[in-house]
Amino acid sequence: MCRILAYLGEPLPVQTPLFDTDNSLVRQSYSPRMMNTFLNLAGFGMEAWDPTSLRPEDPFTYRATTLPSFDRNLRFIASKLAPTCLVAHVRGVTYSGTALVADTNLHPFHFVGTRVVLAHNGHLRQFPRMRYSLVEHVEPALAQRIEGTTDSEWIYALILSQLDDPYGLPETRELADATANTLRILRSVRAAHGIDTSSPANICVSTGRALVATRFSFDYGWYPPEDEMLETDLPFVSLWYAIGGEYSMRDGDWRMTAGDPPRSVIIASEPLTTDSSSWLEVPEYSMLTAELVPGGIEFEARDLDV
Amino acid sequence: MSDRDTIDFLATVPLLAGREEADLMELARVMRRRTVREGEILWRQGDEAREVLFVVDGAVSTSLQVAGGRTVEIGRAGPRQILGEIALLDGQGHTMSVRVTETTTVLALGRLDFAALLAGQHSTAFRLKRRLASLFTARLREQLRHLAVSLGGESAGLPAEEAGPALADLERCRPPDSTYVRRMATFHDFDPLALWGFLTSGKYVRCPPGRTLVAEGTPSSAYYLTINGAVEKVLVRGDQRIRVGLAGPGKAFGYESLIDGRPSPVAAIARERALLLILPRDVFEQLFYKEDAVARVFLEAIQRDLLATLRQTLRPCARLAASV
Repeated sequence: MCRILAYLGEPLPVQTPLFDTDNSLVRQSYSPRMMNTFLNLAGFGMEAWDPTSLRPEDPFTYRATTLPSFDRNLRFIASKLAPTCLVAHVRGVTYSGTALVADTNLHPFHFVGTRVVLAHNGHLRQFPRMRYSLVEHVEPALAQRIEGTTDSEWIYALILSQLDDPYGLPETRELADATANTLRILRSVRAAHGIDTSSPANICVSTGRALVATRFSFDYGWYPPEDEMLETDLPFVSLWYAIGGEYSMRDGDWRMTAGDPPRSVIIASEPLTTDSSSWLEVPEYSMLTAELVPGGIEFEARDLDV
Repeated sequence: MSDRDTIDFLATVPLLAGREEADLMELARVMRRRTVREGEILWRQGDEAREVLFVVDGAVSTSLQVAGGRTVEIGRAGPRQILGEIALLDGQGHTMSVRVTETTTVLALGRLDFAALLAGQHSTAFRLKRRLASLFTARLREQLRHLAVSLGGESAGLPAEEAGPALADLERCRPPDSTYVRRMATFHDFDPLALWGFLTSGKYVRCPPGRTLVAEGTPSSAYYLTINGAVEKVLVRGDQRIRVGLAGPGKAFGYESLIDGRPSPVAAIARERALLLILPRDVFEQLFYKEDAVARVFLEAIQRDLLATLRQTLRPCARLAASV
């Protein structure tokens, strides 16, 4: 079922959210606290924007199907990077022979030449039934670039297709609208195919300057008979955030410091520390937007009615 | 404090009212008395619970940590009140930090001894479970009141016809597959026969999205359990609408009025199409006041739901406090 992590704000060593905290993203791959029936062992990926790097508008990309906890390269790289924006993901798949663990299925998705990346925590039930009905909503040039077998990559192509210029740098509002429109398209295509079972869509998209994240599910609470994902999906798929000055260690604890206006935000499937008292739960059926502006970040949470 | 004083004190604690003197003596024997000075922290939010505390004298304040390392006071507690029982019962960390505001004497009851009070199928255990349900309902109302005050404005309420007779026009349907219900975490630990007794004591209906099932400020006439879909619990003040909880599969709503006879503290509106188990007031009261295996399942289910709801309701409190 996957776990996602997104960060925007003051430069943050990648090592901190990936490895250092006691419920770090890498730890969530083998010991997720809020999803105790499922592990996320099908690969790791991240996109990190560092304003001091060569071509700062292009993110640094890393993906590997190996287990991130044993990935020395990832540890080395994480200890050297301090981006102002990060989207990272550990992938979980069902324990069946039909699941495909492959580089092409790793998040965040990022078509070369575009400025938007996407990571997804969730799954669209009965996706093979509806997949090809999405073609008419995707720009042909983007549809051709879908390489993997996941529903998430189609969601990515759909979002890009809703932008005025899929290869440009969208405003935060346009990116948020494109995400909401994509959910509307998915709802109508599901309805056309008579698909009405629970399908979580916690989506995180980013340009390096802005983040848009949803905590959402289609038909929450309805499951097919004998569903192998039932125990995982009965609770609404989690999403949390911490907002403030900077994420740092104080008195032995990793915390977001006070900041007014805020300068940093972390959005994650689970709080990065077992002490979640400084984290806030994202309301169900809602969207968060955050954007880097002079002096800090602009942040908004709103109901998502699609 | 002598043993006699302890027993006399315990007899005045509302949660323990009506207990036999022998019971209270037994309880007094396993409790530990402590004096805590002003400014001391009894525990911090998120700490593991090891005991419940009965406040003998003095005062404490309860506070919630919010974003940016700030703390917001949520309430106060004094003599004859109980602290720490939520975390002890649901096994999660303490919901709030507790600080002593004037020198306080407490009686501490350890996890196992507290669990023993609730175990078994005898009258005192049933009575304590019902009292805890009333206590948690009162706490929930207090948390919601706090939240409503933060929102400001008056309750928007709903037109009478919209709140309406919720049951009459909903489509009746067959009970769900019991295998599915048993896979819900809420019912994992229940004896299958008792669970069956509970699940067959009401009627099943389908509800369209957007339908108001319970209106804030009016008494609810039934207990509702979501089997499929989701129902949101909301507070509406002026043009502000805040969701204080989401009752997905295995979660209940609408029962606060049936426990304490007061109007519903929130509105309940179907967010998704929903399949619901409905227990009308008379069936609810029968189960709530009976003392058999089915009633035990029912009281357990209510207790778990109230504990989860109390935690869920603190989240918008924290968000709201963080945005101030």
